[in-house]
Amino acid sequence: MKGLWRAREASTVAILAIEILFFTWYLWPEAGRPHPFLNLGNVLLIFKYSSIYGIAAIGAAIVIISGGLDLAPGAVIALTTVVTGYCFVQAQWPLGPSILAGLLVGLTTGALSSWLVVRVGITPFIATLGVMGIARGAAYVVTEARYYDLSARLPRDWRLAGVSIDWAGPIIMIGLAAVFQVLMRRFQWGRSIFAVGGNETAAIFSGIRVGRVKTSAYLIAGLLASISGVVLAIVQGQGKADLANGYELDIIASAVVGGTSLSGGRGSVAGAVLGALIFGVLRNALPQIPGATFYDRLIVGVAVIGIVVMDRTIGSRGSKAP
Amino acid sequence: MSSGLEFRGVSKSFGAVRALDDVSFGVTAGETHACVGENGAGKSTLLKVLAGIVAPDRGEIRWQDERLRLTGPRDALERGIGLVSQETLAFPNLSVSANIFAGRERTLRGGRLDEPAMRARTAALLADLHVPVSPDTGMDRLPAAYAQLVQVARALAFDCRVLVLDEPTTSLTDAEVDHLFGVLGRLKVQGVTVLFVSHRLPEVFRLCDRITVLRDGRLVTTVARAETSPDAIVRAMVGREPPARLAGSGEDTRGRALLAVRDFTRRPAFEYVSFDVHAGEVVGLFGLVGSGRSELLETIFGLHARHAGTLAIDGHPISPASPAEAARAGLALVPEDRQRQGLFANLSVRHNLALPRAAQRRLLTIHDHDERQLAQHAVDALSIRTSSLESAPAELSGGNQQKVVTGKWLATEPRVLLLDEPTKGVDVGAKFEIHGIIRQQVRDGMGCLMASSDLPEVLAIADRILVMRQGGLRGEITGAMATEENVMRLAAHETRSSGGSVPAGPASGGHS
Repeated sequence: MKGLWRAREASTVAILAIEILFFTWYLWPEAGRPHPFLNLGNVLLIFKYSSIYGIAAIGAAIVIISGGLDLAPGAVIALTTVVTGYCFVQAQWPLGPSILAGLLVGLTTGALSSWLVVRVGITPFIATLGVMGIARGAAYVVTEARYYDLSARLPRDWRLAGVSIDWAGPIIMIGLAAVFQVLMRRFQWGRSIFAVGGNETAAIFSGIRVGRVKTSAYLIAGLLASISGVVLAIVQGQGKADLANGYELDIIASAVVGGTSLSGGRGSVAGAVLGALIFGVLRNALPQIPGATFYDRLIVGVAVIGIVVMDRTIGSRGSKAP
Repeated sequence: MSSGLEFRGVSKSFGAVRALDDVSFGVTAGETHACVGENGAGKSTLLKVLAGIVAPDRGEIRWQDERLRLTGPRDALERGIGLVSQETLAFPNLSVSANIFAGRERTLRGGRLDEPAMRARTAALLADLHVPVSPDTGMDRLPAAYAQLVQVARALAFDCRVLVLDEPTTSLTDAEVDHLFGVLGRLKVQGVTVLFVSHRLPEVFRLCDRITVLRDGRLVTTVARAETSPDAIVRAMVGREPPARLAGSGEDTRGRALLAVRDFTRRPAFEYVSFDVHAGEVVGLFGLVGSGRSELLETIFGLHARHAGTLAIDGHPISPASPAEAARAGLALVPEDRQRQGLFANLSVRHNLALPRAAQRRLLTIHDHDERQLAQHAVDALSIRTSSLESAPAELSGGNQQKVVTGKWLATEPRVLLLDEPTKGVDVGAKFEIHGIIRQQVRDGMGCLMASSDLPEVLAIADRILVMRQGGLRGEITGAMATEENVMRLAAHETRSSGGSVPAGPASGGHS
């Protein structure tokens, strides 16, 4: 495990811990009443909603570390819910194939993004901005202002191996974070991602197949966004074109708050998931503070800047090579 | 020496490296003065001190009997000291006029840019320098020579009294050099003092009144051109006589042909280049900038597509389409620009050292233990001075960074090592160590092709020297014929016949 878990993630954990302690203290209830923040139901809620962008944030972190950027995940999530919903509700497919069709959405958009970036040579910002528009647009074209109600065909109180389906998102998020943390730190593929993002020219000179490395990053980011989409479709029971609106920025912010540098070459997928949880907690707890209702977006915005600046001031991360 | 430019006891250290050590000499007002020395001799640092970019630790610079206390490059410019630096420092995205006035734009009242005034001044300056381009031309559309002259114009735009040129001719053709020298001649008539830094002695002798020689940061001598000779200057630069040759002395101790290159062509960089590299030898590849040597190495290494020709390693034909394939075939390239092409600033020294080997072997997972062993071995074998294997490359000196880039490729155990400027920007000590490493590898059976524009280096460690000019191989020089003069004559296109050179390869109609 040594080397898998670094100061980088530790400082994100510390920020998350401080945040949790603060809200636990601030929202401490009168004697005899349940804690509104610190209870199992609420923790599940936080995990459930964080996992939607947390899963995609893993992919976003990988793309950003490789020196790229992906603006498409929000739209890809929406298109995935629509495609899964269409297959499951409209075409009456079984759930498994419907999910696979949804996952195909992310692989397709990922392939398109990587083709535009690697082969055509468009800058990632523009390429994925275009793919974002295409994916969101395709979702509207398919649904034509309708939405698919998956919940009608899904079992009520659905349990898998005795665990509520509500836990699927968090479990998938944590599982994927663990897998990709290992892939990024322990596998040559991950090292190549860091190398390409750190110095693309040197990577070419070092015999790294830069095109393939970048392609793999966008494919994974697309696939992970689609997994988010499938989770969203099942958890919310909906396939809808306007879901996950603006999530791409939350997803990128999660990666950045988790220690990923937008200039590439530095970062962590575990950090991205922790970053998503930091946002999840903020979004969950702020509305519970009386009078803070209208301030939550403002506070989240300030928090993004604050955390990144604090992090740089502490200087523990970014300075040390992975 | 009054009323000129005077260096008095100037010293400057970077960390442990003494770049300048108590340097004192004078430049008479109005003279054209050369400053020569090997790479790492301290020339560039001296110029940076003069241009206000670097503050000296000790000593002072006087101009017309007044001490210059420079606060920065801008201050130097305002006092009439203009630097034309080695790298073309320009804004490719801006026009010529914008480049000349960058940071010192003329403005109208209210801060609006006075474009007509700047354009008119630019046009006048360009006409003066015989540069036939419009002030509105984009900088990125200028050929190298004009870009260089725009820098001169930038210096002259502000009543320049001392013009400092750092290796201004490295990227110029002969005709362009003539043009530049014509301009410098006219400036001299106008009374401008010129400090000219170059390692091209023929140019120095052609242009300059007096010559100052630096070695290892110290002043060796200042002599008038009439009282010295190129040989004497080379001896002063090198500080030993004759330059120690590390190269093997025997003619035919070399082994079989490891790398065979035939009719290798990539237009317009080079055409019909054929040669062998044998086991146990260092082949020097000398050529001025623009001769096509870097492109040749990079094409052999699969970085660019070739248009014609074949490659074989150990008699087996190979055609690497990428560095990955080249590395697997037993080639390695230590590139010219270690910052841009060699190092990963975001990865530790250990990871940097392990990367090409892992890519070459298509390793799936990373084994910390193996990596550490490999890195430690490289650090020991190349005596890389680093506080730890986990340090970032930025913490290392230039010489040690270069050793990391060399070491990461030696870890792939190549059959043939291609080196492009292996000691560029490296201090003299590290340079010597790197030469030792190269010779050691060759003794162990590797073949080595070393491209360098550092002639003393090529002469010192190459067993034989291939000379490139304008994309073609112009000759091969071995043994006693390997003198600076013979190599330079081939490289710089002097048709005077000489006994030392054996013309090789079809003389193609090169691209002027």
